[in-house]
Amino acid sequence: MRSQANPRLMLMILSAVFAFLYIPISVLFALSFNEGGLPTAWTGFSTKWYGELFANQEIMGAALNTLIVAVVSTILATILGTLLAIGVELRRRKGRFLETIIFAPMIIPDIVLAIALLSFFSLLNVTMGLHTVIVSHVVFNLAFVCSVVRARLKTFDWSIVEASADLGASTPMTLWRVVLPVMLPAVIAGSLLAFTLSVDEFIIAFFTAGAGRASITLPMQIFAMIRFGVTPEINALATIVMTLSVIALALSQRLNRGGLPGQ
Amino acid sequence: MTDRKSFYLMTPALAWLTGLMVIPCLLILALAFFRRGTYGGIEYTFTLENIGLVFDPLYASIFLKSASIAGLSALIAVIVGYAAAYAIAAAPAKRQPILLFFAVLPFWSNYLVRTYAWIVLLNREGLIASIVHSLGYEGELPRMLYTESAVVIGLVYNYLPFVILACYAPLSRLNPEIAEASRDLGGSGWTTFRRVTLPMTAPGIATGFVFVFVLSIGNFVTPALLGGGQFQMIGNLVYAQFLTANDWPFGAALSMFLIAIMMGLLTLQTFATERASGARQEDT
Amino acid sequence: MTQTLLSIRNIKKHFGAVQAIAGIDLDIRENEFFALLGASGSGKTTLLRMLAGFEMPTAGSVMLDGQDISHVLPNHRPVNLMFQSYALFPHMTAAQNIAYGLEMDKLPRPEIKARVAEILDVIQLSPLANRKPDQLSGGQRQRVALARALVKRPRLLLLDEPLGALDKKLRGEMQLELKRIQHEFGITFIVVTHDQEEALVMADRIAILHEGNLLQCGSPHEIYEHPQSRFAAGFIGVMNFLPVRRSGNELIAKDGSKITADLGDDLANESDAVAAVRPERLSLDVQDDDNRLTGRVSALAYHGLDLQVHLDTPLSSEPIMIRLTADAAEGRRLSIGENVTVGWPAKDTRVFSA
Repeated sequence: MRSQANPRLMLMILSAVFAFLYIPISVLFALSFNEGGLPTAWTGFSTKWYGELFANQEIMGAALNTLIVAVVSTILATILGTLLAIGVELRRRKGRFLETIIFAPMIIPDIVLAIALLSFFSLLNVTMGLHTVIVSHVVFNLAFVCSVVRARLKTFDWSIVEASADLGASTPMTLWRVVLPVMLPAVIAGSLLAFTLSVDEFIIAFFTAGAGRASITLPMQIFAMIRFGVTPEINALATIVMTLSVIALALSQRLNRGGLPGQ
Repeated sequence: MTDRKSFYLMTPALAWLTGLMVIPCLLILALAFFRRGTYGGIEYTFTLENIGLVFDPLYASIFLKSASIAGLSALIAVIVGYAAAYAIAAAPAKRQPILLFFAVLPFWSNYLVRTYAWIVLLNREGLIASIVHSLGYEGELPRMLYTESAVVIGLVYNYLPFVILACYAPLSRLNPEIAEASRDLGGSGWTTFRRVTLPMTAPGIATGFVFVFVLSIGNFVTPALLGGGQFQMIGNLVYAQFLTANDWPFGAALSMFLIAIMMGLLTLQTFATERASGARQEDT
Repeated sequence: MTQTLLSIRNIKKHFGAVQAIAGIDLDIRENEFFALLGASGSGKTTLLRMLAGFEMPTAGSVMLDGQDISHVLPNHRPVNLMFQSYALFPHMTAAQNIAYGLEMDKLPRPEIKARVAEILDVIQLSPLANRKPDQLSGGQRQRVALARALVKRPRLLLLDEPLGALDKKLRGEMQLELKRIQHEFGITFIVVTHDQEEALVMADRIAILHEGNLLQCGSPHEIYEHPQSRFAAGFIGVMNFLPVRRSGNELIAKDGSKITADLGDDLANESDAVAAVRPERLSLDVQDDDNRLTGRVSALAYHGLDLQVHLDTPLSSEPIMIRLTADAAEGRRLSIGENVTVGWPAKDTRVFSA
């Protein structure tokens, strides 16, 4: 298809699409440094909105909650997802049912999973809070970790596992000494992705965090703030959140040459 | 032997998924068939009322509206996304991964922030308005934020990277010799695209369309933020049943309806793909 | 005798700084089965793609039936290509694949149907007409690809490694099949191949390409028996090379022995050269041959039809290869370590400048 594509037209399409994708984000970045804080006029460069942001107790509390949720759910999801990936790839029989279960958390609409978990927790009379957000985030996070690790395992040379067994290693020893080191970049890449998703996740957290300010996460805080319109602090907050996501994703991409899931 | 070991490795994760995804989803399915209690609770008697209510004319207008907004968003996203994926696949092989990475990057960042960016742009005192005014236009601008168009723009913006990814996969797998074969046999560039490239990449387009449609129709954040709560998507309706109206059985029935739409479209797509690729034996 | 169909004049192709084709002249005749033979990187595929119209020459021209087509788009050339990967449309049946090119020509439906049916019959795939490519075997796909290109009755059919993806046995059958079809349709075929045996068996004429240059063009017999360069001699079949030096009308080998050959004037006196002789031209214990050499048997390889003998000699650091027919080998039992003398006539010695 390369031979028949018109290069000038292709360049125009790419420029237009990338402009559409990146101009809105860039505007937020720029505005976060605008002294006046409004898009109506540029009144000079200033980091004062970042200062106000860090002085805002509510936002800082939400950020801390988000950090707790993301770290804990990422650790759990990384362990479960990696074991799952190895287990699935080890299996000789490929079950369609199994594939569906593993794939489902990635494609099920967030709102459905969110209300399902909400109903489930309230039926069991579980008091909701950060812990329910964490276990809920593990559901989709482990699926993403599993998908990244499996992509790497597809190109894994399984004969080295047999070689390890042949040299006298037990299965756990082989996993620890041979499989895991080879898989480590993909495992880290998967966990970075999970971390990013967890930091940004809003809908499931919104339904499973329970009532009260104590378990509010950053996206919930952002949602509450932007419903009341534009405030300059959100520009600063958005810039920070986006920058962190981009860094984590670039790192993940770097480690995992296979790319993001589906890529 | 190996299968037993693999079973042990999979057990913790599968238990987690069973306990926190499969069972809750089955619960929702069951909930859809129970009666709503007088004070918002759940009465455990079997009923088909909730399912009936989904198809009640009262909600038909919401469904039609949701479906038209979601369908329009999916259509635009697919057209733009396919063009972008085509252009990426046509770029030199060395540059493709980086182009793809930057096309998909926004998809993995914060949904709310990306939606919020459009509030900043479309706001009455927003960037677009100030640019237009600074160019000397004095009159009143048509309202941009809190409109259907704003919701469509927001949905397209948020899901476009996904469509690019879905369309790029089959495009990049195309053997360039196949398009060349069509040219060699006398097909023009347009004929080649219409008769060879497009049919061969249709599964990616279908996947992109189905996901944008389903995610849009079940969305409640974008209509709330960019639509200003003026009209409801099925997602808003679900949200309302659980958080304000307190009619969980009806909310459950609505979300099962969402899943049914998704499954139906995906099955249709799989069926069409299998037909197109000739997976079925047509003669002996 | 026959008319020239295609003239390639001083054609050149550069990709950036890389020169793929360095200026080639070739004439291909009507109804000819022509082979472009070369290793990978020789430029044979680039040349083929210029004939099909997928690459435009940097300089030079391609004339088909006296018309310059060098810058005509592929879809407007009466030339069709059978792709190495076959490039069958996966979403169309065999019959739809074959019909595609005729539909592009806007032929009436009934005629398309008739011609597709006719060619399916020729390639013996009529019962599988409605299968998709992924339901066909490699050999069947190959025939669909051939039929798809052939059904348009092009002036010239290009085939890029047409048998490359087939297994060895099928390849042998298809070589003869391709020749039969070419004969039946009376269409000029140009085959690109890296397989010298395939070229020798199928082609009326062969062009050897090397690093973007045309080394030699001629009938299989000319190419095999009278290679014009050391590379061509080594590329086709097996050849023994002996480093020599010209001294008057004789060649002096490394160990001082004389090698006789029909020497032309090309080779200057006292210059280094290489003498070459094919393994099957060497015979055992022949007394009246012009050339003789003695060596020690270092290896024996039995191939059924013949026996290959490796001989260590002082004339060359490489072992000399001898190919004995089964009959000759039966009459003379050889064992490793044994000293034997072999001879060959002067007319079978080829000489190349070093």
